[in-house]
Amino acid sequence: MTSLSFSLAPEALVRLHNALICLSKFSHYASIEAEYDLLRLSALNLAKTAYAGFALDADEFFQTYIFGVNHSSNVSTRPRADKFSCQIDVKTLLSVFKGRASGRDKDTAVERCEVELREDIDETECRLVIRMICGLGVIRSYKLTYEPTTVQHATFDRSSTTNQWCIEPRFLKEITDHFSLSAEQLDIFSAHEKAIFTSYTTKITDGKEILKQPVHTSVAIEKQDFEHFIVEDNLHVVIHLKDFKAVIAHAETAGVMITARYTNPCRPLQFAYDFGGVKTEFTLMTTGESDASDISSSSRAAVPQLSARQTPAPVNVSQSNNAPNTRQMPPPRSRSVRPLTGNSARGTAEVSTQSQRPPASINLDSLFVPADDDRQWDVPNEDERDETEDMLGWDATTDQETFSASMGPRLRDIEPSMPLQEEQAIDQEEATGIPPTQRMSQVSRLPLHDDPAGRTTSTNTNDTRGPFNRQSNPTKPALHIPPSIDIRTAIAMLSPPKRNHSLVVNDGQHMFTSSSQLTRLWKTPWRKLAAVIATPRHDRRVPSMYINTMPTSE
Amino acid sequence: MRFRTQLSHVPTFSKLTASLSSLGKVCWMRLEDGVVRFTIIPDQGTQVWAQLPVEAIFEESTYILESNSGVINLEVPVGALHRALRSAVTATTSQLRLTKKGNVPLLALTVHTSSWTAGSNAIGITAGTEEPGPESGGSGPRERETVITQEIPVKVLHETAVEGLHEPRCRDPDVHIILPSLFQLKSISERFTKLAADARASAGSSNVAASAAASPKLELSANMHGSLRLGIVTDALSISSIWTDLVNPPLDPGQLSAAEIEQLPSERMRGFDPADDAGWAKVRIDGKDWGRVLSVGRLSPKVVACFVHETALILYVYLPGSWNGEDSCLTYYINSYAA
Repeated sequence: MTSLSFSLAPEALVRLHNALICLSKFSHYASIEAEYDLLRLSALNLAKTAYAGFALDADEFFQTYIFGVNHSSNVSTRPRADKFSCQIDVKTLLSVFKGRASGRDKDTAVERCEVELREDIDETECRLVIRMICGLGVIRSYKLTYEPTTVQHATFDRSSTTNQWCIEPRFLKEITDHFSLSAEQLDIFSAHEKAIFTSYTTKITDGKEILKQPVHTSVAIEKQDFEHFIVEDNLHVVIHLKDFKAVIAHAETAGVMITARYTNPCRPLQFAYDFGGVKTEFTLMTTGESDASDISSSSRAAVPQLSARQTPAPVNVSQSNNAPNTRQMPPPRSRSVRPLTGNSARGTAEVSTQSQRPPASINLDSLFVPADDDRQWDVPNEDERDETEDMLGWDATTDQETFSASMGPRLRDIEPSMPLQEEQAIDQEEATGIPPTQRMSQVSRLPLHDDPAGRTTSTNTNDTRGPFNRQSNPTKPALHIPPSIDIRTAIAMLSPPKRNHSLVVNDGQHMFTSSSQLTRLWKTPWRKLAAVIATPRHDRRVPSMYINTMPTSE
Repeated sequence: MRFRTQLSHVPTFSKLTASLSSLGKVCWMRLEDGVVRFTIIPDQGTQVWAQLPVEAIFEESTYILESNSGVINLEVPVGALHRALRSAVTATTSQLRLTKKGNVPLLALTVHTSSWTAGSNAIGITAGTEEPGPESGGSGPRERETVITQEIPVKVLHETAVEGLHEPRCRDPDVHIILPSLFQLKSISERFTKLAADARASAGSSNVAASAAASPKLELSANMHGSLRLGIVTDALSISSIWTDLVNPPLDPGQLSAAEIEQLPSERMRGFDPADDAGWAKVRIDGKDWGRVLSVGRLSPKVVACFVHETALILYVYLPGSWNGEDSCLTYYINSYAA
């Protein structure tokens, strides 16, 4: 059982309202995560190309903030005990917090807002209770239902960004004012001491439809207008204009400098700014011509790739290493292996700590569970590598793993890395010490078929469950190797549970399927994987479209 | 084929395109030596034929037009043009030129704007307003320049494609009168239209489909004694407003002899008594369409309305500053609906 209560001053309410308005532009749902020292609001759009996160500092933002977890309660209901997460319809929240602080009616203006979480396993009603303490003794109470959920965060490795600029949002606002309302994409590049923002719409139009083609608008401002501007010239990155507008609209309300960080096209771009106890980050997927960037990236091959590209990491990602392996599996392609990077389970704060780590260091304490290596046996498909460029990698920061995501070819450019840490190796001895390169089908001694029920329990990630799994595994006869070996099973085998990181896919599938399908997916056979593969194939067209219609305005 | 010019009166150009865009999506822009014409011929509704001297919107000295026929005909998405011109309203310089990208011809509008910034991006800037300062120094206020390029896709029309298009012709008007303030006229018209639409909607079930199909028709009538009447009649209501003491402009005696003027129907109408209904020329026009026509009021023009009884209403819209210049005139042709 989680206890969460906090109270807000009117100024904080205004900020909260602004943040909610911003979140509503990304998604219908806002995810709320409570930790000991912060409350995080985040939203991820449906296409999973844009992520907005607001980390509200417990001391600075709130008047009071109390968060506690009762560990003795039934752990199985909550995969991760040291945080609480749920999601709520943004519109509902907006209507609750709407204009309360502005106070048309001075007498009954809100003086304080108290929020309390009422969660009790035994109760049928779990509610988020919001009380607005107003003048003249007026108290408005709201009880909102919420949906416990797994929150996904976009991960972004600030240390590896090669391009960065910082500017007042109002300059950006002036730029977007010139854009056509129907414009969808925004291309950003710099040349000749100018930063050039071009809005356009990719729309396939034949000759007769010329007049319906959207207007290309490009606005060039001087680099002087930026606080700093460190960007490779002629590097085009393309983001959605709608997201860009949402970000600068909020940054304007905050009145702070906005910083953009990015590496290459087809890698995430992050806008970030901090103010008054709020840390914001907006991670947007970019598209663009990656040819040029490939060259440039090879020229600086040492630069680790953005973590957001990495495998959705399993559990306890917050402590995961960001640069992992001395020994890497031979990749099926010549492409260099990217380090598996930890992800920012802790959101903003985590990102910054990660960024301080030397990217190449090996973190022996890592709890990171390496991705299963079986994928490298898949038929190599060079094309798929491109597909991956168009998807953000996601990290479910709760214990649920997102291996189903890593199954998808969208993450193909992440080479599976094998556990190198000694502890893990020891653990693996029980798993027969078979070299990780071995094919699944050859691992006759391993229990390849894990029964869903056992798996579900192991998800719960307490110490007792892991041993249970390990003990039970050898008892299973080799005959149990099912024809439908699924990769998730393989994960359990190759990287057995260690401490409380669960090896098991649980709600991770949220990323791609509704939770109602969970049970069915346990047995997902290979052909199901094929279905997963199909998705990015569809996405793949997107970049080529962008490329073809990249503005080449003189 | 070459067209390039600096814009000189951007607000006028912008307002012009705004009012044109309310009537149609696509406009025929005809560039000639000394004259620019904008024409909108929608499938249904009011036609506009606007003719402006080059200097009304362009910098004449920079106006370059090269073409085999001396004329360039363009099909322009006027809404996009208007939107693009909004960037130019505060510009220091703005240039319009015909170019192409790939196979798509474009009207490229390049706008240079400059503004003053309070400092060189000092940290802790809070004010959103820019403070103009006369001096630009190291970290002090400085001028910042922004270059905006708007590329509007257009279609180049061949002369043969447009030679069949000509202005509508119509018999001599029965009444010509200078309209009162378009703003006033517009708000009253819209109010009437809305009342009639509401009344019709609430009137009910009898003939919903038929009545919904057509929007309310306004009755506009005028006489040669300075009176204009705007009214609407439905089953449920009948309302009208009357303006008096308006001006019936005299015709230019330089163009017509006195004898010819005597023959005109307007002179016959002038002969009727002000109280006589026969002296009124009446047209029935679509309320919504009329509202769009009146959006030209943003140019604060003088408007002469010519009534052809039960046939058509023609508006001659003269831009301010060109009151006598006949070559700067927007002509709206509005058909009258049968009763």
